[in-house]
Amino acid sequence: MSEKATQHFIEVYEETRAALPGAGGWLARRREAAIGSFREAGLPHRRMEEWKYTDLRRTFEKASFGPAPVHEGAVVLPERRSASAFAAIDRHVLVFVNGRYRDDLSRAGHLPKGVELHALDDVLHEQWAKDLVERRFDDARQAENIVDLNTALMSDGACLRIRKGVKLDKPLHLLFVAQDAGASHTRNLVLLENEAEATIFETHIGEVASFVDVVTDIVIGDGARLNHVKLQDEAPDAVHLATMRARLAAEAKLSSFTLTLGCGVSRGQSFVLFSGEGAEASIDGAYALRNRQHADQFCVIDHAVPACTSHTLFKGVLDGESEGVFQGKVIVRPHAQKSDGRQMTHALLLSRDAAMNAKPELEIYADDVQCAHGSTVGELSKEAVFYLRSRGIPEAEARRLLVLAFLEEALDLAPHNQAKDALKLLVSEWFGEAAP
Amino acid sequence: MAAVKETVETVGEIEKYKYGFFTDIESEKAPLGLTEDTVRFISAKKDEPEWLLEWRLAAFRRWQTMTEPTWAKVTYPPIDFQDAYYYSAPKQTVKLDSLDQVDPKLLETYEKLGIPLTEQKMLAGVAVDAVFDSVSVVTTFKEKLAEAGVIFCPMSEAVKKHPELVKKYLGSVVPSSDNFYATLNSAVFSEGSFVYIPEGVRCPMELSTYFRINEKQTGQFERTLIIADKGSYVSYLEGCTAPQRDENQLHAAVVELIAHDDAEIKYSTVQNWFPGDEEGKGGVYNFVTKRGDCRGENSKISWTQVETGSAITWKYPSCILRGDNSRGEFYSIAISNGRQQVDSGTKMIHLGRNTTSRIVSKGISAGRSSNTYRGLVSVHRKAENVRNFTQCDSLLIGDRCSAHTVPYIETKNPTAILEHEATTSKIGDDQLFYCMQRGIGEEEAVALIVNGFCRDVLQQLPMEFAVEAQKLVGISLEGSVG
Repeated sequence: MSEKATQHFIEVYEETRAALPGAGGWLARRREAAIGSFREAGLPHRRMEEWKYTDLRRTFEKASFGPAPVHEGAVVLPERRSASAFAAIDRHVLVFVNGRYRDDLSRAGHLPKGVELHALDDVLHEQWAKDLVERRFDDARQAENIVDLNTALMSDGACLRIRKGVKLDKPLHLLFVAQDAGASHTRNLVLLENEAEATIFETHIGEVASFVDVVTDIVIGDGARLNHVKLQDEAPDAVHLATMRARLAAEAKLSSFTLTLGCGVSRGQSFVLFSGEGAEASIDGAYALRNRQHADQFCVIDHAVPACTSHTLFKGVLDGESEGVFQGKVIVRPHAQKSDGRQMTHALLLSRDAAMNAKPELEIYADDVQCAHGSTVGELSKEAVFYLRSRGIPEAEARRLLVLAFLEEALDLAPHNQAKDALKLLVSEWFGEAAP
Repeated sequence: MAAVKETVETVGEIEKYKYGFFTDIESEKAPLGLTEDTVRFISAKKDEPEWLLEWRLAAFRRWQTMTEPTWAKVTYPPIDFQDAYYYSAPKQTVKLDSLDQVDPKLLETYEKLGIPLTEQKMLAGVAVDAVFDSVSVVTTFKEKLAEAGVIFCPMSEAVKKHPELVKKYLGSVVPSSDNFYATLNSAVFSEGSFVYIPEGVRCPMELSTYFRINEKQTGQFERTLIIADKGSYVSYLEGCTAPQRDENQLHAAVVELIAHDDAEIKYSTVQNWFPGDEEGKGGVYNFVTKRGDCRGENSKISWTQVETGSAITWKYPSCILRGDNSRGEFYSIAISNGRQQVDSGTKMIHLGRNTTSRIVSKGISAGRSSNTYRGLVSVHRKAENVRNFTQCDSLLIGDRCSAHTVPYIETKNPTAILEHEATTSKIGDDQLFYCMQRGIGEEEAVALIVNGFCRDVLQQLPMEFAVEAQKLVGISLEGSVG
């Protein structure tokens, strides 16, 4: 007998499965298997090593989410800067409301030849979509198990396939709006064939008590390149669970940056697997939390083949009673010589009641490698604040400057210049709100 | 149903009788396996007071409800805890007549370590000739300690002579319910050292298990308790650089340190137990719980360890920094070769204000070994101005070994400054080439470079150990290059 919170999701599955995409096909069987493993494993809890600092079971015991309704009427974007952060950038936009694609609100314009962009339902018959959904990374099992919940319940998502050598002309913006309370399960699939290039923005906003469960499966072919900028800013009673799984072929490049302005409980998981030599991955992020927010950044980079480079930097500021978590792992498999893995995490505690937990891990089975990780936690340097004050800058302003400078190192890694500026502006405004 | 119950009870009675300690009290070995009677048997053998027996039994009952931890990065076949003897009286080892009868390989190792001839004999179990009168050495040693008021004796003696101290401190740092192996140890511990340094006393010499008379019989479940009263200082040396063979595969020791106001304890370990043959068979499993409690203000506990032996090491010497301004240190060298598996590290729990800690861990893996650093730095909400620095470096020699780093950093106080850094690399070809083109052999060059890599930690060792430990580092890596 599984516990109540797990049981709740299983019941939702039983009730809705007939209406979910792919009924009667391979996906229905896949969903059945996924809910079975989910039932067996249950919702992750703190007795599991990889969920030590984020107890989803407890989260869902406190707050239960029924399925979010299908929203068909007009949508009012929340009055948050984040909602319009990328508005000034020339881009294709796909809008998802309560986790479902809204064609009438989207603006994907004229796509270059060789770029295929569909909603999940439309690609289910294609082999590549099937391959992506069925794939498992097989490491970090406890963290990846939760994807089963998404597989069982996924209702929609953006599916992007770019043919060999084609470049997406402008960034593709996936805008997820939680309009009504409830849970949504979204699955995005991205396939970049050899030498293809794309930039994807992803925004999650909402003002309601929502559970946003999003899984993004990515395959990057030889020499292809994907830039990804994610922004998350949701309600204090919302739960956000995002998993990105990316496989990189030879000489492929992935740059992913996440700015987390948080919600009640958020967890961002990134799994990167190198399957071809000479690939590069940069998984970075910044977070700014306050009140009782909790944000967990979980990142596993698997150097399964030689000569790949990975870079991870997460920087965050924690105010109020917020809690930040960083869990990272760099794995270098046997014979993955010449691997280069760097992993850094820095946190600033701005308040007496904030807390930070970090667990940067290295797991190395090859000798000719360069791997390093570092972690620091502390408060703003009194000397630095004093230095600025001695030059006539008021204390509040001095603190703001120092915090922004601290976060800027991470923000600079966002792989799109205009997006980078937009994020910096957001962070600076976030800090403005914090001041009394 | 009643009949079934009766039968079960009767059988139970018979069983109990069969293995009951009343009948077996004269025997030298406890019956095979671990039951309440085994615990009673051990306690009776040692003529322990009632409260200690109760304490052991409570631990044993607790242990029965616990499961073996599996989170460490080590793999070994399941241990059958019922297929072992938990107590056996000290055996008379066969004395050899001269060093000629000793395994020449062992002698070679002694030679390399530079151990004096007489000591070599002692270690190898050769009858020591009259010139080297170990008894008189020990006696002078004891007199000197007694003069200072230091209590340094086997645990069983302390239970009899200083029950109030043992009762007060035993299990106060590592509770008998702490973890699977510590609980097992609490139930069946056989021997260990007890040290008490009175207020204001600076222990006149380094205390070493090496000199303790019953060193040879410490057994597999060692229990050490060291108490440094206000303003005292003690340096304690555990183990020995010489290779030790042991017939017991499973070792589960517990070490508890207590430092009161302004006291300082320095605990150094050199562990070189049998690591098993080339396939990793027969090596010692070393599951140790070591913890120090900086109970008083301005107290300090420093752990230094050189781990080169054992098939499996599972060991996390920790410091609870309770007193304000207290300091914890952890210096470690863990060398693994062959098929050894090491999962070791430390915990620094900052509870008091202005507490500081420093962790320097050097892991070296060679052959097909696996070497993990696992550490926790935790800052309590009320611990102001905490400072921690952690450095853990790993060196890999060969492409079939592995090195892992698993640090946990948890802080609930903004005034804490915590730094952690770790690197993993191999010995630079250029460094090796530089040494070799100056006529230094490859193995020697590796030993030289590794010694340089470990220097920060080696320097922390007491003089007696430092020289031998340096050589040990080289020897442990033999056969790992070329």
